[in-house]
Amino acid sequence: MVVRRRKPAALQEVTATPDELVQQRLSLPLPEQSPPALSTIPARRLWLCIHFPALPLEALNGDSPSAAHAVFSGEQGVRQVLLASKAAQAAGIAPRMPVNAALALQPELQLLERSPRKEQALIRQLAAWAEQFTSFVCIESACVLLLEIAGSLRLFGGLRELRQRITADLEHKGLTSSLAIAPTPLAATWLARSRRRVCIQALQNLTGALSPLSLQCLDWPESVTDSLKGMGISCIGDCLRLPRQGFAKRFGSARLLQLDRAMGRLPDPRSNFRTPQRFCAEFELSQEQSDGELILNACEQLLQEMSCFLLARQLVVQRVQFSFFSLQAPVTHLIVGSSEAGRAVCRWLELLKIRFERLTLAAPVISIRLRGGRPAALEAENRPLPFRKTDRGGQSISPAHLVEQLSARIGDEAVHAINLVAEHRPQYAWGRVGVKPGFHAMDMATPSQVPWNRGLAPLLFADLQKTNSLLLRRPLWMLPDLKKLPVVDGKPVYQGVLELLSGPERIETGWWDDNGVARDYYVAVNSLGVHLWIYKNRGEKNQWFLHGIFG
Amino acid sequence: MNDALRKILQNPRVWRGQGQSQQQRGLTSGYPKLDRHLPGGGWPLQALTEILLEHYGTGELQLLMPALARLSRKQLSPGVSAGAGWITWINPPFDPYPPALLQWGVNLSRVLMVRPKSNREALWAAEQALSSGNCAAVLLWSDALDDAASRRLQLAAEAGSSWAIAFRSSRARAQSSAAALRIELLAGSTGTDIGILKSRGGRPAIVRDYAG
Repeated sequence: MVVRRRKPAALQEVTATPDELVQQRLSLPLPEQSPPALSTIPARRLWLCIHFPALPLEALNGDSPSAAHAVFSGEQGVRQVLLASKAAQAAGIAPRMPVNAALALQPELQLLERSPRKEQALIRQLAAWAEQFTSFVCIESACVLLLEIAGSLRLFGGLRELRQRITADLEHKGLTSSLAIAPTPLAATWLARSRRRVCIQALQNLTGALSPLSLQCLDWPESVTDSLKGMGISCIGDCLRLPRQGFAKRFGSARLLQLDRAMGRLPDPRSNFRTPQRFCAEFELSQEQSDGELILNACEQLLQEMSCFLLARQLVVQRVQFSFFSLQAPVTHLIVGSSEAGRAVCRWLELLKIRFERLTLAAPVISIRLRGGRPAALEAENRPLPFRKTDRGGQSISPAHLVEQLSARIGDEAVHAINLVAEHRPQYAWGRVGVKPGFHAMDMATPSQVPWNRGLAPLLFADLQKTNSLLLRRPLWMLPDLKKLPVVDGKPVYQGVLELLSGPERIETGWWDDNGVARDYYVAVNSLGVHLWIYKNRGEKNQWFLHGIFG
Repeated sequence: MNDALRKILQNPRVWRGQGQSQQQRGLTSGYPKLDRHLPGGGWPLQALTEILLEHYGTGELQLLMPALARLSRKQLSPGVSAGAGWITWINPPFDPYPPALLQWGVNLSRVLMVRPKSNREALWAAEQALSSGNCAAVLLWSDALDDAASRRLQLAAEAGSSWAIAFRSSRARAQSSAAALRIELLAGSTGTDIGILKSRGGRPAIVRDYAG
């Protein structure tokens, strides 16, 4: 409230305080005890504004330094140059010039029609990018972003570092931009539009900084600025010196409100920009590419974007989809899945590389799209403090990571875990299951509890255990397909004549489905000393099948 | 020991195979007869073990089961080496039967099956699994294992502190190998015999009816 008590000198000729004036003239719904309520504004706010003056041109990729480009808009039937590239400007082409005049000046001029859709897409993409710096990003207008950075300063190591980082990123993206920092959003916007690299942290310095700005920075309608100019007013400082009542009457209370908000006399709430929760971005290559290295580079950039996007939301994804578009062939999709949800660029890139090696692209690629899968909230895990170096020097990746590396190259179905199924039929007593990272303790019988090696177990135990197969001797190897054994002299043969050692063990069950069995199992041994698990169907004579090998 | 012999032994040019006391303690195989002939008193962990056999089913899994069961039930300290638990089976000739594994005391939640489509992929998977440090043991069935591949597996096993086991045909007997231990399973008159062909820090031997 300190600021508020210091009434700006220019406005002292008005008898009422600014607050009263605002209530009288602008009929703002300020509460009765507004001064104390406002004085409790908790934290100081700092707004960083990024203004992209050449956005219409850059959205159309018309910012190449060599060729002369110009964006035109066809409003009211008159085609006017909106923005000219540097090369075009050098040829004397200026904004608001008729298109024909521009072509007369520079016949090779490449004219691009303004595309608000592409501009919007670009500014949204930039807003998503900016979310890595703060949790509060606001798209102020078609080419202006506002970032509330007071809360981010500590994390990024101070104002200077943060600003350098943002500037460097923007330069890397190849965008023209101007940055300004001010305690109110409007002031920051105006300062950025004026293309002054200023940084104002204290509210009381605002008047001095804003006063010299020209009226163009305000982005007010031309009729307003023209009439202000007619009154001999050329900068914001002049506006502030005008009587409030008169100003509001002539130019509308909205303008006065804007001035008050810019000076920090009134709160200026903003709505936070939130992009959709799913990531989707496209990368257009400048020309068709079939070189894997270059395509992977582009993919890496997309992954980088996705990583920033997910970081801002504290999300992770489990699978992503790359789509490779080409001019001649239909689109190729590549789904990369990971057993552990994550967002680290290097890991996704590694998985992508393994898959990409095996992918054959039918035609050169012109554009790549990356679509993130269903996002999940990041579940951070607790790790012990690294007091002690582990004795396993080679361990650098997690178990889940190993599994996904293997399945990425060999195939998802070729890497699996196994489990038990409560089922008496031997072939159904187990199953293949997906790999779950994380092991559980052994909660089943230990060898000492299993009495099979003391001859046939009492079958009563079978009811206690999950299946009877825990109690009776079972082979370590199961044949994936049953093998019918030839019979010589009434005896089955497998690598030699088989001698029956023990049996029969009758398994007769499953009558309720179509795969019922009624078999007599025997343990047999051949001349090589190999123990085999063979069976014959009940009632059949000398029809032997090999089911398992005792290994 | 007479003086002349001691003098010779003190000569630095004399290298004694058995006296290398840097031998690590092995993992007991569960078969006392075999343990007696293995240099560390058991399987050499963090190294490659080659098992040569003529036919599947001559007791090659039984031989490993007590050791694998012990490895699979080993408590893993949370966090630090949480991953060192997989027992990875790469390219087994048949399906390992979970109820039988459980009977031997193997913790099934640590068993990982990998079924590559080619020998090359099998070797690649084995190397990855070994060097990742996430596997207590890696069992590999491959016909394409040659000297160079066995050396790679041996190095990967050392890097990842993991036990590599390769099953090969008896025909590979004459080939050289970098394995720390090479044994051959032979059908004996009473049970399966084990011929120790090569043993780092030990000497060749024959163990008759190891399970008996």
